[in-house]
Formats: sequence, structure tokens, C-alpha cells
Amino acid sequence: MISYFARRLLLLIPVFLGLSVVIFMIIHLVPGDPIDHILQIGSSPERKAALMAKYGFDQPLLVQYGIWLGKLVQGDLGDAIILKQPVSTLIAQNLPYSLALGSAALVFSTVIGVTIGALAAMAKDSFFDRALMGIILAGSTVPSFWLGLMMILIFAVELGWFPVSGAKNWQAMVLPVLTIGLGGIALVARVTRVAMLDAARQDFVLMLHAKGVSRREIYLRHILRHAMLPVVTLLGLKIGWILGGAVTIEFVFARPGLGSLLITSLNQRDYPVVQGCLLMLGIAVMLGTLLADIVQAAMDPRIRDRVS
Amino acid sequence: MTTSMTFSRPLSLRRLAVSSILGAGVAFGALTVALAQEATFAVTAREVGTPTYNPITATKLNSANSLIYDRLIQQDADQSFHPHLATSWETTPDGMQWTFKLKAGVKFHDGEPFNAKVIEWWVPKFKGTENADTVAAIERVEVVDDLTVKFHMKNPDPNLLFNLSTSFMGIPSPKAYDALGDKFGVTASVGTGPYKVESFTVGQQTVLVRNDDYKWPSDLSVNKGPAKIKKITVREIADDSTAFLELKTGGVDLLYTVPADFLPRLKSEKTVKVMQIPGTEIVYMPINTQAEPFTDIKVRAAAAYAVNQKDIWQTLYGGVGVPANGFLISGLAEAKVDPKFAISYDAERSKKLLDEAGWKPGADGIREKDGKKLQVKLWTTNGTEFKRITEVVQAQLKAVGMAADITVFDASTINAQYKKKTDHQLAVRSYSWTNADIIDWFFAAKRAGYPNVSLLNDPKAEELNVIAMTKSRTWDERVVNFRKYHEYILSQYAFAPIYEPVNIFAYSTKKLKLPETVRGVRLTSQTILDSEITN
Repeated sequence: MISYFARRLLLLIPVFLGLSVVIFMIIHLVPGDPIDHILQIGSSPERKAALMAKYGFDQPLLVQYGIWLGKLVQGDLGDAIILKQPVSTLIAQNLPYSLALGSAALVFSTVIGVTIGALAAMAKDSFFDRALMGIILAGSTVPSFWLGLMMILIFAVELGWFPVSGAKNWQAMVLPVLTIGLGGIALVARVTRVAMLDAARQDFVLMLHAKGVSRREIYLRHILRHAMLPVVTLLGLKIGWILGGAVTIEFVFARPGLGSLLITSLNQRDYPVVQGCLLMLGIAVMLGTLLADIVQAAMDPRIRDRVS
Repeated sequence: MTTSMTFSRPLSLRRLAVSSILGAGVAFGALTVALAQEATFAVTAREVGTPTYNPITATKLNSANSLIYDRLIQQDADQSFHPHLATSWETTPDGMQWTFKLKAGVKFHDGEPFNAKVIEWWVPKFKGTENADTVAAIERVEVVDDLTVKFHMKNPDPNLLFNLSTSFMGIPSPKAYDALGDKFGVTASVGTGPYKVESFTVGQQTVLVRNDDYKWPSDLSVNKGPAKIKKITVREIADDSTAFLELKTGGVDLLYTVPADFLPRLKSEKTVKVMQIPGTEIVYMPINTQAEPFTDIKVRAAAAYAVNQKDIWQTLYGGVGVPANGFLISGLAEAKVDPKFAISYDAERSKKLLDEAGWKPGADGIREKDGKKLQVKLWTTNGTEFKRITEVVQAQLKAVGMAADITVFDASTINAQYKKKTDHQLAVRSYSWTNADIIDWFFAAKRAGYPNVSLLNDPKAEELNVIAMTKSRTWDERVVNFRKYHEYILSQYAFAPIYEPVNIFAYSTKKLKLPETVRGVRLTSQTILDSEITN
């Protein structure tokens, strides 16, 4: 198991390097630059050239990338050009908010998604199954931006149950969690349902029926457990999706977090901050995938054997 | 003795319960009073993400800045100048010396005194910063006495009073500034203003507490003592809809900026008061003078006269603000040009000009010349308001036979595209500035591409630019010179004026009471000093 973990960890190194190239190039190839946001009305082209040189933007892109990567491997994310603070400080201020929001949304969508998926599998092909899956599929197609505003209108403005925005207390987290979480339920439920129906067709289930084990026990104790493998894989991949989803939701709910920081910095082309935020999101996806692989291997010895 | 006996006596359950209830009541009352003295303001879209409260080096400052720092001079909504930390000023006839008398008894939040030596330290600090131009004409500062300074000028600068009144002219504490270096404005911000910074988290909020020693407001405030509101939290809410709903539900007590299209909804709120102050912004359509077919001045004029300012003003803004007919905000003296230069909608004139330029109506209504259709590019930036204006302009251009294809960019991308100097023809954009020198910024040949989006490179315009920017000795002379420059730019049809918004803010009457008249060019400390909590 340790060697499996070590091999998976080593595989992350080339992935990380590839990720760093993509992140760096994407933001630098987008038109615009941070210097335009620093310049005051009346600034001369010479002043701009001087600032470009000061921040090293006059150098070839590959050289700039090399300098950034060199600092990165030493744990230095650089300093924000517009926001005037170390990128690591800005991320440290904002990451906890995104993690709290993402984790809560992940737990919410998983618990509800697995429950719905299991109920639908148990009532396969019934009206209940079709209605349930239809409703959550329709729900998952609603844009999160719009859903967020609707949530605010209903639960904050009309009913007054929760605050409209901010991050002052736990109540302020309810609507953003619901908004992100609702979008994720459909996939979890569908994967759970399909995995359970697959498992239900296996021989051990037939044997359990023959032994006279109740249907409810077969589904909840045996089939559901067996069906968890693909769900765990999905959850690992969903970590990145959830954090990515938080970008727009943090904007709508005026919450601090990586998403708000990313949007602010992107609008100002504050390269080091954008790179730092995207890197964090990328690392979250990588770690999520790694975690899913490890949990899968821990749950299913066949995977460990196959890899070794 | 009595006290000690009371405490030594064992409490009965009944006494304990009564004491607890009374204690809780007192505590709750105290908390309520404390909360009642606090207010939450919100800045939106444009002000979100302001990185620092360092007025010397910043290129972007939010509305909270005026509560932290005072300036030598304040500008009122009618563009007049008023004493603040400077009680009076005078200049020599040749404009080469300015003498300022300073207010006595002023102290920074850190207890340091404000005096002439502070000004002597402050002015050179701008050197090498993005705001250096504001004091570039000052050769040196002479300390005449503790409360008098004299500016010796390199050249006359009739714009000096305006420069000294801008938000970048807030004066920081020299001691704190030098001690904190680059961190000043981020980790701590120390001025002489009516509020001290308790905390600042970029992109999230700034918590301000009242400066109880404050007794030096400008004459634009009625209140001559400390502010009436004890604590103000200035939240940053990027989405206008969210900010509006926060005001509606009481999560926010005052919105610094309200988009005009929110007005009908806000006006229907019984506990929200909406206030308007003269605008500082112009929405316009630059025309690329170097791109075909707009190299022909008749086609440029036709595009300019096709824009129906009144229609946009009424249909999109419900009659709020004013239709623009020039490049400058209407409050400026330089905006009052000879009416023959003002650009106003005239569809018939537009069509006639296109006919004269050889563009004849085609079968589908779109004009043609030499087998080529009058098809142009119309750029705009993302944001609902801009897109809506651009769509209306597109329809208005089509009405005279000009087909415009809209492309939407984000703000940074569009500026990079302008710099290519080749692709764009028409665009819808805006600027916010309260000085005529903005004409130099957007039309000087040396800035062709961006910000001179019109790519205007005209010898006569350049000559008038030099006269307006450098040859004026007095304010009145400067007004005359800039008016001539403005008129010439209008005569070249390098842009079409569209709309001049008003600055709109809104507050909850359940929580706040603001003076009926807002002094200053924006909602700043003068008005907040006169504001109070109502409950």
C-alpha cells in the first residue's frame, strides 16, 4: 500500500509541471496586463515601459516562466502586483473560506445524492424512480448563478431566514452551500443508482436473496457498500468541481474566498495572484484524485494487486 | 462598608434570578446602544478590490479613503474649491509661487502634529509614483512658519487647486508612512480624517472607528466636531443585485453607488432614500479616425449624428442623468462650448452626410459604396449596462443605414485590442473624471491606440493641446484654452457623446439620516460627518 501511495505521489510531479505551464501560459496569453491597471491617467508610454521592466514583463515568456517556477519550487508564490501583498498571504486569508464552503457543499451533495440514488435503485423503473431522477436532473441544469440569486430572493429577502451575503456567521453559509450542493446532487445520485443496479445483478446478491436476507438489508448493507467504489472516485474528482463552482457563488454571495480573489485578480490581470489561485485549484483536483485512488485501493484489494 | 456587606450576603435564588434578568437587560441595552451607533456601508463593482489606502502611490482608491484622510482643499459639487487643512491660499500674478496657510490644532491618528513640515515632507514623496503629475509643477516647498508653506513652481499650474483636491491628495502621517514603507495603506493607514482604520481586508471590508479628537472639518460640513456615527463597516460587494438586496433587507445601511436601472425598484422601497449628485462620468462612442470608412470626416459626422442621446437617456435611464452633447461633464466650465459644436442627434443630417460621402441605401436598407456594404465593428465591454447601450446604438446606426456588428470584451482585453490600432472602428465606453485635461488623455496623438482610441492625430488638435496643457497661466485662461481644444475635437467628430449619468447612492431611512444636500463631488467625509443614526 505504501509503495502504491509513493508511486501515485511520484506521478503527480509531471502532472504538476504540466499544470504550471498551462496556468502560466493561459493568463499571459490573454490580452491585457497588470501595468494598465497601475498606470494613472496622464502616464507616458515611457513610464509603462519602465514598469514593465520593473516587473520583468519585458523578458521572453519562457524566461518569466522559469523565474516563476524557480520561486515556486522554493515555496514562494511571489508578490501581488496590484494587491501589494505576498500571494501566499492572500491565499492563506481566503483559502479557509473556500475550503469550508466546498467541504460543506461536498458533504451535502454526497449525503443527499447517495440517499436519492439508493432510493431510486431500490425502486427501479417505478414512477418514484423516474420522478426522482427527473427532478434532480432538471435541478442540476439550472445555472448556479441564477440559482444563487433565486435562493437569496426566497430565503433571504422574502422569508428572512438567512443573510443575503457575507461570511459573518454560519447562517451566511447555508445558501451558498445549498446553491453549490444542489448542482452536484444529480451526478452523485445517478452514479450511485447505476452502481447499485450493477451490483444488484451480481451472484452474491442472488445468494443473499436465497439465504432469506431481507431486501432492505441486502440493498443498504451489501449492495450500497459494494457500489461505493465509483462514488468515491467521483467524489475525488468533484473536489475540484466544487471549488471551481465556488468561484461564481462567492461572487454572488459576496463571500471572501479563492473564487472572489481569483475574479478580482483576473479583472486586474494581477498575474501572480491569478497563477497562485489557479495553482491551488489545480492542486486540489490533483489531491482529490490521489485521495480517491488511495481510498479505492484501501477499499478494494484487487486494485492494489492490479497496480502492483 | 455597605458594598462589602451586600456582597458578603448569600444570594437567594429569587434574588439571583432578578439580578440575572436585570444584568442581562443592562447588557442587552448596552449592546443595543453600541450597535445603534454602528452602520454598514457598501461599495460595489468599480470600487471592489481596492488594494491599498496609500493615497500617494495608489491608482485606485475607494470611498472609505475620504473618511481616513483629509486634503488641503475640497472641491464642491459645483466644482468650486473650499479650504480644509489649508485655511487660505494665494498665488503671485505670474503663477510661480503659491502660499498656503494651514489649519492649527490638527493631529494625525497616531498623535503626530500636522504642520508645514508635513507638507515639506509630503510633496516630494510623489516623485516616481503614478501620481507624480499632480505635483510635478512644484519645484520645491518652503516652510515659511509652522503653519505656512510656499510652493515655488517650475512653471505656472492653474490646475494646482484641482490637483490638491483629488482623492490622491489625502495627507498621511509622515511617521507611520516612513515606518511602514510599502506596507503603509495595507497593514495600517494613518491620516487626520474623521475615522481611523480598525481593520482592512482587501476585497472584503474595512472597519472604521470614529476619531474622537476630530474638530477640523472643511466648511462643507455643518458638524464641526467628531462624526456622529461611531463605527462604520465598509463592505465590498461586487454584484450590484446582491448589494441592492442587502440594502433592501437591512444587511447594509448605505450603498455608495447604485446603477441607474435599479432606481425604479429602489424608489418603490418605503424605507430607502435615493439621492442623486451631479455626475462625474461620460458615456461616449469613440470613432477610429484612422480606419475606413471613418477616415472620411463626413462618415464620422454621420455616425455621431445617428446616436440619439435623448432616446437612450429616456428609454434606458428613465430620464435620470442628462444626454451628453460634448466630451466633458456638464459641470465644467470648459464643457460650455459654442452650441454649433455640440453634437446632438440629427438623423436627417446623418443620412445627408452619408449620401454626400457616396454611401447610398441598398436594397436591405444598409448603405453601399462601390459594391461594398457599410458594415462596421462596434466594440463594447462586458456588463449589462454597456451591452444595453451598445445594442441601442447599433439599432440607431442601422436606422441611418450603417450595420454594426457588436463584439463584447472584458475591460483588460478591450484595451489590449485598442493598442493594436488596427481592428476597431466604433466602440461604446465611458470615463470618470472631473477635469478638462481628460481631453488630452483621450485625444493626444502620443497616446494613439489606448487611451486615444480615436487614433486622432491632427496638427491643429496637437497645437491646441499644447496651449491648453502648458501655456495657461491662470485658471480662467486655462478654461478658455481647454474650451477651444474641446470645440476643435468636437468639430473633428472623433467621438459621439451619449450619456452623462448622475452619481446615485441610497440609504436606509430606518437606520440613517443624511443631510438633504450633499456637498462635494462625491459622497465623502463632508456628508458622512453630518449624517447620523436614526434609531
